[in-house]
Amino acid sequence: MTTTLNRAAKPAVIKPKPTWKQRLNVFDVKASPYLYVAPFFILFALVGLFPLVYTFVVSLFDWHLLKGQGDFVGLQNFVEVLQDRFFWNSLFNTVSIFLLSAIPQLAVALFLAAMLDQNLRARTFWRMSVLLPYIVTPVAVAMIFTNMFGEQYGLINNVLGNIGLDPVMWKSETLPSHIAIATMVNWRWTGYNALILLAAMQAVPRDLYESAALDGAGAVRRFFSITLPSIRPTMVFVVITSTIGGLQIFTEPRLFDPATAGGSQRQFQTTVLYLWEMAFQRQNFGKASTIAWLLFLIIVLFGLVNYLISRRIATADAAKPSRAARRAERTTR
Amino acid sequence: MKFARHTAAAIAGAAALALMATGCSSSSKEQAASADNPVELTVTTFGTFGYDDLYGEYEQANPGIKIKATNIDRGANARTDAFTKLAAGSGLSDVVAIEEGWLGSIMEVSDQFVDLNEHGAADIKDNWVDWKFKQGTDPDGRVIGYGTDIGPQGLCYNGKLFEAAGLPKDRESVAKLFGGEDATWETYFKLGEQYKAATGKAWYDQSGFVWNSMVNQMEEGYYTKDGKLNVDGNAEMKAKFELLAAGTAAGLSANQTQFDWGTGKAFTDGSFATFVCPGWMLGTIKGQLESAGGGADSGWDFADVFPGGASNWGGAFLSVPKTSEHPAEAAKLAAWLTAPEQQVKQSAAANNFPSTLKAQEKLVADATPNVLFNNAPTGVILANRAKGVVAQFKGPDDSVIQENVFGPALKMLDGGTANADKAWSEALTLLNDLVVNN
Repeated sequence: MTTTLNRAAKPAVIKPKPTWKQRLNVFDVKASPYLYVAPFFILFALVGLFPLVYTFVVSLFDWHLLKGQGDFVGLQNFVEVLQDRFFWNSLFNTVSIFLLSAIPQLAVALFLAAMLDQNLRARTFWRMSVLLPYIVTPVAVAMIFTNMFGEQYGLINNVLGNIGLDPVMWKSETLPSHIAIATMVNWRWTGYNALILLAAMQAVPRDLYESAALDGAGAVRRFFSITLPSIRPTMVFVVITSTIGGLQIFTEPRLFDPATAGGSQRQFQTTVLYLWEMAFQRQNFGKASTIAWLLFLIIVLFGLVNYLISRRIATADAAKPSRAARRAERTTR
Repeated sequence: MKFARHTAAAIAGAAALALMATGCSSSSKEQAASADNPVELTVTTFGTFGYDDLYGEYEQANPGIKIKATNIDRGANARTDAFTKLAAGSGLSDVVAIEEGWLGSIMEVSDQFVDLNEHGAADIKDNWVDWKFKQGTDPDGRVIGYGTDIGPQGLCYNGKLFEAAGLPKDRESVAKLFGGEDATWETYFKLGEQYKAATGKAWYDQSGFVWNSMVNQMEEGYYTKDGKLNVDGNAEMKAKFELLAAGTAAGLSANQTQFDWGTGKAFTDGSFATFVCPGWMLGTIKGQLESAGGGADSGWDFADVFPGGASNWGGAFLSVPKTSEHPAEAAKLAAWLTAPEQQVKQSAAANNFPSTLKAQEKLVADATPNVLFNNAPTGVILANRAKGVVAQFKGPDDSVIQENVFGPALKMLDGGTANADKAWSEALTLLNDLVVNN
């Protein structure tokens, strides 16, 4: 590198004035990387950072949807929203729907990925098929499921009625409505996550499985002792993305009952849906921005918790021979 | 940063529209449209508006005009659409349909709409029933909307179900049964209980629409004439609520979902026998019957009677927002669409009831039988039902109170999870949370 050469030469002679071309070279080396990454950051500042800051500014005002900016109220909106029972209700619903969707989704996706990782006939066909629900727009998925989960005329309650069971109140009771919405989310995302996990599984060296099999480890043991530890970084990625997505859920609960903002008694009103109600029905933009900011902070918090948990898992894992150690062992052998 | 997506989308949308606007704002002084100067007008309506054929007719008569129409499924969604675009400061159509229920909100920002007086509103003022024209005029005397239809209410009932329950079937006897000119809600619920005892089935589809009718009938609704909230301590309103709650508790509500009705099936499977019908609702029923595969044989009929006397629920206006590129052409189109001749055609297509006097007279003179409603002369009946209607003042949060305050409370009654007192106090709590301390 030019810089180190320059430094080495410094004490010996007086540095000759660098030529214009040399200076350009130095500039190129120092500045170019920043210029290359700049477009992302400029775009982010425009469509990410600016709205973020602007939303915060709006949250400090009485701001009516139609009439616009009102009085400056400081953090009054935050105080009021934090005391708002509907805000906490929406948070409960969001977390409940998130847990009901994320946990079964990951379990099934793992299972699917493990199956697809086997020697199947027409492999590509099976792999592409699990992605099919993902390419259907969420609105279409929501409309079909909403119809199926109808209380009086829905397919599911009809079937239940035919085998002599009581209908489930999918829209007016809290838990059934959460299950119904989680079903939509799972339908859409399970295959997608399965494919990501599958990609990670395929990167696991096959000889590990072979030696384990020779040592007498069964399929289940191989899955838990080799596959799972090997795909941990990908698992963390999938968990974090589904957390962020799950906390921002809107389309499914919005369309599950198109006439209300998340159920007549807010049975399945998620936080983003409450934000929407605040902005476009109650027309209080200030408080809507406050909710947006609180949701942002909550997502950051969830992200941090995720990060800490995944780090703990990683350090706990270090007691056993880690992947790196195993790899090192292999190369020395 | 998905949480700020709507903000980002609004900015992106605004930028795109700004680009488009600069692209076509070459003529600051608006030239009349002609074959050489083509103008595209956008129109946004909702529900069953019946304008589809009229657009073509207008395009034919006015060379150079191209109409791009959008119809939104229901009024509540049209409200969100209009509010969002008003807040963004762009995106509204050249002609926007506004529903009576959220006209109060629009009136607060009436300066964002073109004063139709600048486009000859005064000349055609006498076309309308006077209260309708006044509703579209803001406190400063600016006319911001031409009335399309009004919502006088009659009683839809299912003749087949009435017959099966031993009640009279023909329109005149049914009107008499409910009390004719002196029909009361008490009689309505009493007959409901008889029907329920005879058949075990519900009397009305859900409580929400009955409640809307009851409130719209009052001289002052959720607001007093001078714009003060009029719910807490309103003994008359509470008495009506209790009457409705008692009926629903007696099993008279089928607990259906508004504007869904099992995609119309509830109108064909005998779930309920009566339905409160403002004029435009006849068009809604038509759509529901079509989607459920029902027809004239479903048994629906329309009687010239309404519990509690004359009532008006809903009706719409056509407005031209200030953001329109072609306000003169847009105002011309709005005036044409709401003129008596076109209102007659609209009424034929959408089954709603016109707001101009001449169109109403024409409907009465024609007395066209409505096949879907057992050949009832719906136009004549609605004209009778419109007699004695007084416009009620609609405040800024009228539609929020109807849907987000009383909606949940009434759903509690329908679902049987609360009695009258609990539901009423829930409504008051919601009113405090959502409107008073919003």
